[in-house]
This record gives sequence, structure tokens and C-alpha cells, in this order.
Amino acid sequence: MAYYVNRNISMTWWERSYIPEILKGLWLTSRRFFRNLFGFLPFFLGTKKDRRIFTVYYPEEQVQYPIAYRGRPVLAQNEDGQPACVACGLCEIACPAYCIHIEPGENSGKQNQYERWPDVFNIDYAVCIFCGNCEEACPEEAIFMSDDCEISMLDRKKMLYTKEQLLVPVADLQKRIEFTRNMYAKWNY
Amino acid sequence: MWVDLIITLVKILFIFTVTVGFFAPILTWVERKQSALMQDRIGANRAEIMGFTALGLFHIIADAVKMFTKEDFIPDGANKFLHTISPILALVPAILTFAVVPFGGQYTLFDKEVNLVISDLDVGLLFVFAIASLATYGYVIAGWSSNNNWSLLGSMRTASQMISYEVTMGLTIIGVLMVYETMKLPEIGAAQEDFFRWGFFLQPLGFIMFLAASIAENKRIPFDAPEAESELVAGYFTEYSGIKFGMFFMAEFIEMVTIAAIVTILFFGAWHIPFLTTATLLSWFDFLGATGSNFAVMLIHIAVFFAKVVFFIWFQMVIRWTLPRFRYDQIMKLGWKILLPLSLANILVTAIVIMILN
Ligand code: SF4
Ligand code: SF4
Repeated sequence: MAYYVNRNISMTWWERSYIPEILKGLWLTSRRFFRNLFGFLPFFLGTKKDRRIFTVYYPEEQVQYPIAYRGRPVLAQNEDGQPACVACGLCEIACPAYCIHIEPGENSGKQNQYERWPDVFNIDYAVCIFCGNCEEACPEEAIFMSDDCEISMLDRKKMLYTKEQLLVPVADLQKRIEFTRNMYAKWNY
Repeated sequence: MWVDLIITLVKILFIFTVTVGFFAPILTWVERKQSALMQDRIGANRAEIMGFTALGLFHIIADAVKMFTKEDFIPDGANKFLHTISPILALVPAILTFAVVPFGGQYTLFDKEVNLVISDLDVGLLFVFAIASLATYGYVIAGWSSNNNWSLLGSMRTASQMISYEVTMGLTIIGVLMVYETMKLPEIGAAQEDFFRWGFFLQPLGFIMFLAASIAENKRIPFDAPEAESELVAGYFTEYSGIKFGMFFMAEFIEMVTIAAIVTILFFGAWHIPFLTTATLLSWFDFLGATGSNFAVMLIHIAVFFAKVVFFIWFQMVIRWTLPRFRYDQIMKLGWKILLPLSLANILVTAIVIMILN
């Protein structure tokens, strides 16, 4: 059965004849071609820094990712070297990929000391889907998505990061912390 | 006798070097780089030798190495013989057409007439079309022999598209033949010494239709329904790998050069420079003596010819990277309902005008 789609396009005779419109398109693309062809020259001669091309030579050139970017999750490390994490296990539960493994440790009731901390905190990046649920679930502002996405490896086993590898000084995470506070409005809980 | 043989061999060597040795590989690079420039990108530039990338020119070498070292794969149930022979069937006609394509006029070197065409056939133009349409067998057999539905669809589309557009192509040519009253390509070229007798002015409609039909013959975008990536994986050469795949690509690029050369000869004054006759050019180089001046003019003419060819290759590339693909029914409609009547009308009008002028 023939089926006709009425696309509500009314073309003038000029457009219908197709050739002028083709020429218009060709003019546009070839203008680009020549602009870039001669725009390249000063760049290669070294007299100009920008090359009016958006392509990034990736490993050599890098761009700053936006703050909302979700790279690998990392653990915040307080100024005294301890993780901010209290090993509550909420992120472990929130993780849809089940890639977080936590074994908690706690002290015997001494005052002015950390009460709980993770003895073991593993994230398997080979399994992680970078969803950010762990960050959202954490009540202690202890786990954050960083902007690091260069975690490809030849060995799958090496992608299981332990606590020591995950820790990042909290000072380096300030921007993301600000962002998550705005995002999840944690002071409203 | 020996001199003739040597001259012919030199011409064959020259054409072979230019098409297979120069144009075919360089066009793979041009295609990438030109599309990149047109789309504000950088293009392939990672292949390097000792830290030099040479604007990505080394990708040609990398490509060749890749093509030759890849596994040559023949699918289960494919006809081995036909599967192997079809890339050759596609490539050979593409190169063969250059036998009758002149790349310069006639020059007197050492009291000897040198005609810059390998074989000056009386039916030169027909030879081009006869041989070019032989390539269709290569494409059709390629799809048919590889035991794959996509390939078969692709080759069926190739066959129908080729038939449709060959009609237009042949009919467009008739207009040119009527104007220049010869089928020898060198004579058609020589007849266009006067700028206003270029085929483009005498057959403007014929030029547009011929270009459209020949791009369709070459199965490049916007007429690439036979290999449409988004519909048929890769069409008739889905099941090809290694150098056989490379041969299909080479055939496509060499056909591009052929189209550019034929268009130049038929419609854009072949090797002539506008407003500059061969006699004037010869008189400029008088101080070099008879042979010397002829030789200088010959070099200039070859350069001019290939400059025009390069321009038309560029133009085809621009078209390829500008226009979207036609739908299959649109291709057929364009071929049979628009181009065919127009080309018939073109013949009629040409005939009437010629009759009135006589
Ligand atoms: S980002 Fe998602 S998948 Fe990865 S560890 Fe956090 S919750 Fe699990
Ligand atoms: S939710 Fe936060 S505090 Fe709780 S275990 Fe995970 S990282 Fe530690």
C-alpha cells in the first residue's frame, strides 16, 4: 500500500528546479573549504596560535571538563589524612552496579577520635557505570565524582582501586563539593 | 617503428604513473583532508615517520600496508572464483579507459608527430563508455558471489542505477558529437581552441546532465544507493577485505579521475588555455627552436589539462561532501523522468540550432 507523508513543504519553482539550491550548498561548503585552507596556513607557519578548528588533539591537548562531568568516583581525604567516609554503606547499597566493597573499622569509644572509618574500600572501575548514585547517597560528603576519565587499562584486575588509590585531598574537590551541595541541597535533609 | 613503440610505451607509462601511481593514492588523502576542511575538522594526521606527519600524507603508506597485510577473507558459501575476480573486473576497466583519453594535443618533436593519446581510436568516445560499463559486471558479480543479502541488494541497485544513467550519459554525449562532428577525443579537444567554442558554452545543459550521470555511474554520494552505509552496510563490497577491498576503492578513485578527464575534454576545452591559442603559445617559445618550443608548449598543455582534471576532482569531492544521499526511488525518478527527457530535448534543440545555423 502506498503511503504518502504530507510534510507541509511548499517549494517555489526556483527551489524545485534543484540546481540553484545545489549551487548554494556547494558555495557554502567550498567557502568553508577555502577559509579553512588558508586559515590553516598561519597556524602551521607558527604566526598564529588559534586555528579556528574545534577539534582537539586529544592526548596532547586537553580541555577542562565542566564541573558536572562524572568521571571516576573518588574518596575525599580530610586534612589529617583520614577518609571522610564513615563506612555507613549507603553508597554500597545505592550502587546499581554493585562495584563498591566496604569493610568498616571502628574504635573502642575513645574521645576526640574518628569513630568509624572504612578498613577496606574498593571500587571496581571495570564494573562502575559512572552514574553518580554513590555521590548522591553519601551523607558525609565523602565520595565524589572526579573529572578523571583516563582509567583504561590492559589488565582488568588493575581496575579494582583500593582505598589508598581512591583517596583525594578534600581541597582538590572543593568545586565539586560546592556543585553537589547545590545539586542535592544536602542541608535540607 | 621502434620510435613509435617507445613513444607509445612512454605514454602508457606516464598515464599509468599518473592515475594508479599518483591520483589513486593521493585521492584517499585528499578525500579525508578535504572533507575535514569543509567540516571545520583537522583530518587524518596521526601516521608519522620519525616524528613527521607531513599533513597526514603518510596515511597513504599506512593504508597500503594495512590493505596488503589484512586477512583476505572469503565468506562461507561464496563463489571463490567470482569473488576473487570481481575486484579485478571493476578495476581494470577504470584504468583501461585512459587508453583513449588525450592529455595534450599534437606536437612536432624532432620532425615526428607526437599525439598525446595512447591510442587514437576512431570511436574513442564509444570505447570509453563501452569499457566503463564493463565495470558494472565487476560490481554486480561482487555482490552476487559473496553470499550476503546486503551485497546482493547493493549489486542489484548498482545494476539498475548503471542502466538508468548510462542511457542519459549516452544521449548527452550525442549533443556533443553533433556539435563537434567527431567521435575522436583528441579531435573534440582540438576543436575547442576558441574559448567560446568550449563544450560548456555550446552544451550547458549537456554538461550538467553529463556530470550528474557520471557521478551516478561512479556510485558516489549523492548517488551512492548501491553502497549506502546506513542501509546496506557497505553494499556490494560488504564481504571484501584486504587488497580486494582496496581495489574497489582504487577503481572508484580512478573512475573519478576518468570522469574529470572526460568532462574536461568534452566540455572544458581539454588542454587549451582560454583566449590563448596554440600558435600564440608557440610564438612565445620561438627562441627555443622548433622542437624546443613544441616541447615547452606540450608541457604547458599537459599541466593545464591536469590542472583542469584536478579542479573537477575537487568539484566532485565538494559535491560528495555537500549533498545528502538520494532515496532509491528518487534516483530512479531523476534518471528516467527528468534526465532522460531533458537529454532527448537537448538533442532536439541542438539539432534545430545546428540546422538553422547551416
Ligand atoms: S558511580 Fe554508580 S556505579 Fe560507580 S561506584 Fe558510584 S554508584 Fe556505583
Ligand atoms: S555513603 Fe559515604 S560515608 Fe557512607 S560508606 Fe559510602 S562513602 Fe562512606
